[in-house]
Amino acid sequence: MTVEYVDAGEAIDQGTLSSKQGTAPPAVSDVTYERILNARSEPQNWLTYYGAYNGQRYSPLDQINTENVKRIGPAWIFQAGTSGMIAGASTYAFEATPIVVNGVMYVSGWDGWVWALDAATGEEYWRYKHAVPYDVSLCCGNVNRGVAVAKGKVFMVTGNAHVIALDATNGKKVWDKTYGDVRAGESATVAPLIVKNMVIVGSSGGEFGVRGHLDAFDIDTGEHAWRCYTVPKPGEPGSETWPADGEAWARGGANCWLTGTFDAETNLLYVGTGNPAPDFDGGVREGDNLFTDSIIAVDVDAGQIRWHYQCTPHDVWDYDSISECILFESDGRKLLGHFDKNGYFFVVDRTNGELIQITPFVDRIDWGAITRDGKVTPRKYPDKEGDPVHFYPGPAGAKEWTHAAYSPKTQLFYVPVQDVGATATRRRREFKESIPYWGAGVQVDADDMTGSVSAFDANGEEKWRWRNELPMCASVLATGGDLVFAGEPSGEFNALDARTGELLWQFQCGSGHHSSPSTYTVDGRQYVVVPVGWGGWAEGFLPGMLGAGHGSALIAFALPE
Amino acid sequence: MTTQDRTDLLNEIGLNVQNRAAIGRVLGTGTIGQATERADGRMEATIRILPDEIGWDPAILVMPHGGDLELELINDDLNTHCALLPSNGDRKFIWLVNHSRGRATLNLDGPGYYWYSSPTGNDEGRGLTGAIVVMGDVPPEARLDRPDQPRP
Repeated sequence: MTVEYVDAGEAIDQGTLSSKQGTAPPAVSDVTYERILNARSEPQNWLTYYGAYNGQRYSPLDQINTENVKRIGPAWIFQAGTSGMIAGASTYAFEATPIVVNGVMYVSGWDGWVWALDAATGEEYWRYKHAVPYDVSLCCGNVNRGVAVAKGKVFMVTGNAHVIALDATNGKKVWDKTYGDVRAGESATVAPLIVKNMVIVGSSGGEFGVRGHLDAFDIDTGEHAWRCYTVPKPGEPGSETWPADGEAWARGGANCWLTGTFDAETNLLYVGTGNPAPDFDGGVREGDNLFTDSIIAVDVDAGQIRWHYQCTPHDVWDYDSISECILFESDGRKLLGHFDKNGYFFVVDRTNGELIQITPFVDRIDWGAITRDGKVTPRKYPDKEGDPVHFYPGPAGAKEWTHAAYSPKTQLFYVPVQDVGATATRRRREFKESIPYWGAGVQVDADDMTGSVSAFDANGEEKWRWRNELPMCASVLATGGDLVFAGEPSGEFNALDARTGELLWQFQCGSGHHSSPSTYTVDGRQYVVVPVGWGGWAEGFLPGMLGAGHGSALIAFALPE
Repeated sequence: MTTQDRTDLLNEIGLNVQNRAAIGRVLGTGTIGQATERADGRMEATIRILPDEIGWDPAILVMPHGGDLELELINDDLNTHCALLPSNGDRKFIWLVNHSRGRATLNLDGPGYYWYSSPTGNDEGRGLTGAIVVMGDVPPEARLDRPDQPRP
């Protein structure tokens, strides 16, 4: 006798089996380009990746200040956890910058997650989960640096190189565009940037021998506006810095895997580019290898490079220049400050790329030297096949991707510093699409390391240094309360006096910091929020903490009510 | 060490059954199936849990390209299981009590592969972890402007 099957019905969204509400207030329906241009005039919000187009990661909020910061504590904690088998299951990390608009927080996690939360309580409004292939090429971990918001939508990139637009009230997909080739080793981790009616994203994959690019899409429709390659084809400007024969340019790297900054007056987008490929084998790509390891200024309408400044010509140390380009003014000049992985703090005129000053910001630099007028002299680098070479800083850099901040109030830059070396041994290999293309065996030092949060003025003079036993691997946040917030790899979240570097407050968050905190107010109460979840390319920036526990917490701090 | 045909060795050692070589069935040792593409481009397939195998059949389901997949899920086992499946938007979940049949509609980008499982007890470790492989390429407009490159 045949027994009829029990009808199990239709599979449902997993998120319906949770306490999420399903919808969020329409907080970003009227977020426009004009509002983002004036983002710091509404300090209750954190409207865009760096808080403002200038990349300063500074908020004028001062309710929490040097006098009362010792009284702040957790107001709420949101934890996502992980389940199932995900790409990079051992390398996921919580690396985002939370965006906040009118009391609603939008934050991305790892493996395609986005959440909308009540910024006052941490209660979940909605979630979106993109299905990321388990076998996607990830050089450095299953991570995402955050979302952008505008015109009622939330924008994010996915591990398999899509850029998607979600309805900000319910997390439903509005449009979805593929902008990278996972079969070529491309992926995406960048937080998108809204400029005018475009959402601008960069590609990842510099360790797989791809050709880096920026892409712009129409906010409303997803229509592709432009693509800007960061390695020129033969015959294009800069192509003379690549071998005339062969296809080294086609595998040249220069990925823009961090968010750029923007100046509406120059109409230029300022973006740092990544390492050349192969990372450590310069013999197959003789020349300066433009526009790798460069600050590039891109006409935001045309999508074309107007000027560049290369921080490490012919890089063989993996010194991406992807770090933020902080825009500031000094003595009436429009300037740009950039702390590079190679250990030097560059200040250039952002109207034309003219060098203003260069200063080392870490104690140990022996890969080479850069004079104050910008002359670069390499000294120690993997050159002979099979010959180990130790150098400082290691390939994660004296500052990793995590961001510095600039306070216009103190006129100081605050930079998280990693003082760690590494050994690279050149091992030439053939190029094969989607296979890692480093050209060396690399081991980062697991001991003899140190770190700091260091304060510099625009002339490169160090004003104070807060020392830490471990390298500092998280973005810092500067506030109008004369505070600098900085998380440690061992879990402590610190508030420093922005004028002296004195440690004023500390809280153990239970997992290491590798993200970017932000600050905002809801109903007049100031919060400082920080994603906490150790992971990512720890073997590259801090192998001494490879055994530390992963986390997945978003913690918001505030003064007692 | 000896080298034998994979199928012979799986059977001889008992890697692909419950409680013989290992406690459970080692992941990646199950059957392989292909989704059927309909005229409208949507794809369909059936996945079963066979009695006392604590594994998906097929354990590896292959889609010819990215898109929508309509799955029929049948639990022929004498125990209750469930399924957590990858899909854009949110993962899909369904309970599968003994002798039940359900449905799931998934949307997956190509190319690459995705794990799915029965997230109850340790079904995942015993063998109820399967893969959905999406073949194909990304759209032409997303590819790099460069000459064709060698692949492994």
